[in-house]
Amino acid sequence: MNNTLLSLVIAILFGIGTFLILRRDIVRVIIGLSIISHAVNLLIVSAGAFSGKDVPIITHNEVVPTNTIFSDSLKNGVLAPLLNGTEPTHFVDPLVQALVLTAIVISLATTAMIIILAYRIHEEYGTTDIQKLKRLWG
Amino acid sequence: MSSLNHHYPILLIAIPILVAALTIMLRSRPKLQTGLSVLASFSVVLISSLLLMKVWNSGIQVYEVGEWGKYGIILVADLLSASIVVLSSGVSFLSLIYSLDYIKKRSLSTYHPLFNLLVAGLHGSFLTGDIFNLFVFFEVLLLSSCGLVVALEKDGITKSSDKLEATFKYLILNILGAALMLIAVASLYATTGTLNMADISVKLSAMQAAGTLPWHVFAIGLLFIVVFGNKAAIFPLHYWLPDVHPTAPSPISAMLSGVLIKVGVYGMLRIFFFVFRDVLGMFQPIIIILALFTIGIGAASAVAQTDVKRLLAYSSVSQIGYVFLGIGFGSLGAIAASLVYMFNHAIAKSLLFLTSGGIIHHAGTRDMNKMGGMVNSSPFMAVAFLIGAMSIAGLPPMGGFISKFVLFDAGIIGKYYTEIAIALLFAIFSMFYMFRAWLLMFWGEKRDVKAYGEYSEHGSSPLVYLPIVFLAFMVLALGVYSEPLLSLAQATAAQILDPQAYIEAVLTRVVR
Repeated sequence: MNNTLLSLVIAILFGIGTFLILRRDIVRVIIGLSIISHAVNLLIVSAGAFSGKDVPIITHNEVVPTNTIFSDSLKNGVLAPLLNGTEPTHFVDPLVQALVLTAIVISLATTAMIIILAYRIHEEYGTTDIQKLKRLWG
Repeated sequence: MSSLNHHYPILLIAIPILVAALTIMLRSRPKLQTGLSVLASFSVVLISSLLLMKVWNSGIQVYEVGEWGKYGIILVADLLSASIVVLSSGVSFLSLIYSLDYIKKRSLSTYHPLFNLLVAGLHGSFLTGDIFNLFVFFEVLLLSSCGLVVALEKDGITKSSDKLEATFKYLILNILGAALMLIAVASLYATTGTLNMADISVKLSAMQAAGTLPWHVFAIGLLFIVVFGNKAAIFPLHYWLPDVHPTAPSPISAMLSGVLIKVGVYGMLRIFFFVFRDVLGMFQPIIIILALFTIGIGAASAVAQTDVKRLLAYSSVSQIGYVFLGIGFGSLGAIAASLVYMFNHAIAKSLLFLTSGGIIHHAGTRDMNKMGGMVNSSPFMAVAFLIGAMSIAGLPPMGGFISKFVLFDAGIIGKYYTEIAIALLFAIFSMFYMFRAWLLMFWGEKRDVKAYGEYSEHGSSPLVYLPIVFLAFMVLALGVYSEPLLSLAQATAAQILDPQAYIEAVLTRVVR
């Protein structure tokens, strides 16, 4: 996997999302929001995807070592927790994947909410043009 | 009881979430649902007061959710968190009582679960010590508040389509804000390798001392200004607020203006004075300039409003600028002053919004030009609105006077003369627009009885009066006897500026 390629993909997704949010049609705005949230998810994954080479799973046959370091040593560039005697970047960071999972679930909820809202706006106003939504101006 | 003692922080979040789930299931039993909701809200008020007392007496409380130490999610109650939680639970209890009579029966069955989720989201974001968890609770309170804005009142003066339009703006802007917050959080995580706020703070300080602080930390700081500025509606991002707060039902307006925009203030205090404490100097001028623009634009827009709730919303924009001004000054006195300001504004603005609900119900319109002479038909509302208006305008003996006094005092001590002069000018504006509103609504005669009809004779129930009386009493009490609040704010500001106690409480823990 190429780190630069991923950065480029994220940048293009942000661009497409921003372009769609600036459209007049509500549905396109919503699609733009979803694309931006996907770009953010990719960004989170990229924060930890290239830092290790092993899968962060401890199998049952493996003995968990007792000399685990839980305190940071910033002078030596050690960020806890890690196993003593191993490289600091031995495992792929599992936390970012958990973060992305949470972010995906949340963006599902917000997207569902905003689609319902767009439907109700279409019912009330008879249009999906954002510029016609100006009863509150002034 | 002693074992329960330890669990206060999680109870403040767990009780509202549990009750939200129960009230969804009890939708067919309105009485039971209401009783449960009010009971839960009251118990949350009690628990938050107990938590504040505990934090005051025995220092910062750290609660590990799942006993994973700093690697798991922790809840931290320091003086700032605990005191804001007391404020928010108090305002939400009063708003809930008020809304029992004010909200339409049909809306009330979905209103209770959403209200409890909103409270849970508020308390979660105030109490959490984990920056990603802060994001999660922001989303909880965003979605539940969207549902509450579209709830219908009994009087039906605000049209459903207006509510939808306002909610659409609110939701789009806040989803974008949430995306920006996620970017900031992910970048912080990539920089420091942790999500625990105390841990991030220690690592950023160590990097700063070693001279290895990457430049993108400043970009992250700017992103956080946008995120919390959007929540708190400061200057370039305030346009959604004057649409959303007036269209929401009055008790929800009180919650939004009283507590929800304070989430942004809280986040600003927490992130900039704690996480970014050693790189703060660069952001202070930005915050001061934004605050001054917010004060000016909010106050100048409020002067021209004819809609009573829109006026109050613009006044909220202006007042939150004063809070941010204190944060921008950044000295001990100024932070204490902005905390005092935040408390007084929350109470006075909730009072004004709840009163405006009564006024609208009475007059049948939100347009102040169609009112007038209401002091005869509704003297109670006149007095309550006058007390709130005097507090926002900053007249003694109300709480607003004390808060403006300590803020300007701190600014003059810090030699910010120009800023204080601008703030003083717009304080006169705020006096003008509050009293203009009061005179238009209550003084004189009704302008055109034929065209606008008589006032409704329907009196309000004690459920509407009691919260207003209590809040008015609090505004007066905080003005006349303000020493406890001032000393609490001083202690809180000292804790914010010297976060060593917080860091020690969080980081020196045993990992199992």
